[in-house]
Amino acid sequence: MFKIIKKIIKYPRVTQNYPKYTDHSIPFIGKPEIDLEKCTRCGECMKRCPSHAIVLDKKASDIGINYDECVFCGLCEDICPVGAAVMTSKFELAEKDRNKLRKNTLIIGERTYLDKSYEIVCSELKANIHKTFGRSLHIRAVDAGSCNGCDSEINGLSNPFNDSERLGINFVASPRHADMLLVTGAATRNMQLALAKTYNATPDPKLVVAVGACACSGGIFKDTYATSNGIDRIVPVDVYIPGCPPRPQAILYGILKALDRV
Amino acid sequence: MIDTETNKKLTEIFADDILDRLNCNSNELYLTVEPAKILSICKYINSEMGYPLVSMFANDEISLCENYAIYYVFADREKGQFLIIKTLIDPLKMAFKSITGKVHAAARYEREIKDLFGLNPIGHPNPKRLVFHGNWPDEAFPLRKSFDLHHKPDFAKKSINFGKVISAGVYEIPVGPVHAGIIEPGHFRFSVAGEPIINLEAQLYFVHKGIEKMCEGESIEKCLYVSERISGDESFTNSYAYCQAIEKIAKIKIPARAGFTRVVFAELERLTNHLGDLGGLCTDVAYGFAAYQFRMMKGWAYAIADELCGMRFLRGVNKLGGVRKDFIAGKELIIIKALEKIKKELMDTNEIIKSNGLFIDRVEHTGILSKKIATDLNAVGPAGRGSGILYDVRKAFPNEAYRQLEFKIPEHHNGDVNCRINVKIEECYEAIEIILKALEIMPRGKVLEQIDAVAPYQFAFGITESPRGENIHWVMTGENNTIFRYKIRTPSFCNWPALCHAVKGNIVPDFPLINKSFNLSYAGNDL
Repeated sequence: MFKIIKKIIKYPRVTQNYPKYTDHSIPFIGKPEIDLEKCTRCGECMKRCPSHAIVLDKKASDIGINYDECVFCGLCEDICPVGAAVMTSKFELAEKDRNKLRKNTLIIGERTYLDKSYEIVCSELKANIHKTFGRSLHIRAVDAGSCNGCDSEINGLSNPFNDSERLGINFVASPRHADMLLVTGAATRNMQLALAKTYNATPDPKLVVAVGACACSGGIFKDTYATSNGIDRIVPVDVYIPGCPPRPQAILYGILKALDRV
Repeated sequence: MIDTETNKKLTEIFADDILDRLNCNSNELYLTVEPAKILSICKYINSEMGYPLVSMFANDEISLCENYAIYYVFADREKGQFLIIKTLIDPLKMAFKSITGKVHAAARYEREIKDLFGLNPIGHPNPKRLVFHGNWPDEAFPLRKSFDLHHKPDFAKKSINFGKVISAGVYEIPVGPVHAGIIEPGHFRFSVAGEPIINLEAQLYFVHKGIEKMCEGESIEKCLYVSERISGDESFTNSYAYCQAIEKIAKIKIPARAGFTRVVFAELERLTNHLGDLGGLCTDVAYGFAAYQFRMMKGWAYAIADELCGMRFLRGVNKLGGVRKDFIAGKELIIIKALEKIKKELMDTNEIIKSNGLFIDRVEHTGILSKKIATDLNAVGPAGRGSGILYDVRKAFPNEAYRQLEFKIPEHHNGDVNCRINVKIEECYEAIEIILKALEIMPRGKVLEQIDAVAPYQFAFGITESPRGENIHWVMTGENNTIFRYKIRTPSFCNWPALCHAVKGNIVPDFPLINKSFNLSYAGNDL
């Protein structure tokens, strides 16, 4: 017991004060960016990008990256002959509209399978979370076919460094207790039914957040016989968090964005 | 080197049945045999020569030799060699003789081949579906070359039956695929009488993404990034194995500094994962203080990764022919300082948990995996080492760098959760020591030997010790620097059946604890 108390005194607080303060001293890899002035539009990065995230319009001489598909591997930085592509340390990338993450606009299929009151539901939720739950939010994490990288990072949200409970965010064991579904993975064939059932079991109003490149767009695994191009084919998504995997703080940013707290 | 006494004896006994032999990559011996003789040869290799079956896979070689091929991979773990028995299957017959009755480890491989290729294992004791669930139609076999990667067959409605235990008072508990914790999806069916588990059947492959099919026809460069994403927490060792295979095919030797850099990262991954597992184990016995200690240490290990390469999961480090850049140079002191801190904290925490009677009571004699079952099923990694199988890829198949490093393999014999915990704790210390030693003796120089092109239709194995155990990748190249076939066998594939045996006789509340002590990857198994 004495030793335990000694440890507790030794490490009183290791939690980082994100989102109030971001530690920029760590040289981590965030999103890649292409310097349009330097870029010669040679198309090498577009051809070799493992997740085909780079789009080049040679006629319009325009190039850009679809961040919902990007797996942040850094290959474009390595192979760019003129050094136009660089990896930045920007990690707060979550967006509510998937097209804001994309260079070329995507028409997301009509959601005929959806509850029509979705728009209303969303606006009600914001009010509801503040009113009913105060500042607390209950999350159910669903792995719909990830490589377990994103899930490890979601686990990391409740470690001593991030401690999401200080922001009123905690994880629950059943979708019936949840306000938000945090979905990872490319929505594999065998998980589609389970994902839809989990969504239906979550009481309204609810939010869905897609975590990682696979959940946003299928990422590197898109469009095989067993995967689909992102979970928004199965359930409506409120916030997309790109990254492969996104860092715990990037996930936290996405969750807070869904609540309009950042 | 490959002509050992035992191999010679084998070729003498079965001289008439061996159609062809091929020696390649210095430690791989391929023997092509008649399909009719496969059972007797495999039985001989497994029981008389004592080589375990470490992988088994089929390959659609119709474009090359008008046949399907099945490869049975046995490993000589004393000499560090592979013995591969290859047999050709006529596409008109579409069937092969099952060896499961004699070589138990083959059971899941044969079911996998049946699902993905439509080759029928005749005489398999339980040939039910493995990879596909009830929604998959009967006549679609994705790993045949004629199957289009993007084709999504219509959803079928077949029911999958679980093994039933029928007796008075026996009931079933279905769990999953969406679990209470933040873990991957899988469905467990417990048959229980009172509290103890009589039988557990795990239905996996919920996260089957078709990785092997996806890699076929893709460039060797792209597949490196896919291999990093086979299983998130083993990113580095998976790409390490893939790189090894391609480097063997390209016949290049990676620079010494790259070899040591890979060792540092592989050991860092092991340390991070083991600390995470130990934290998870403490959570599962509701020992909050220790769990947060381990999670704090895991955070420190992640900080080292961030500092070195900017990626917590060590992605984008490996490159074909070495590593992407010199990640270590100038950061030695930071690593040493951080590791010393982790080591000290780990010692203190270890002392605290080991003196807690309640904790020991939960983990001791829980989830025992006997040595016999572990050997039969080829249990690898900490699961095997906890049950007395003294096997570590780093010792049995050492590469240049590991040969120069000294380390001990933990040896425990009881096969319970406690043994697996001890293996992991000891491996954490060893990992720290290996990194420190590697930093000390690492030579200066370049870190990348560029690979521009590889010859078509060459094949090789890559083998690494991931945090979960032996990790074997087999790569066959195609035209224009593409992949023809990529077989991935992660340690989780071997250890899942072992887990199902280890839980028998234990009470249901101990299942999460036993499960965590194996800490298997669903993604690595399902591919």
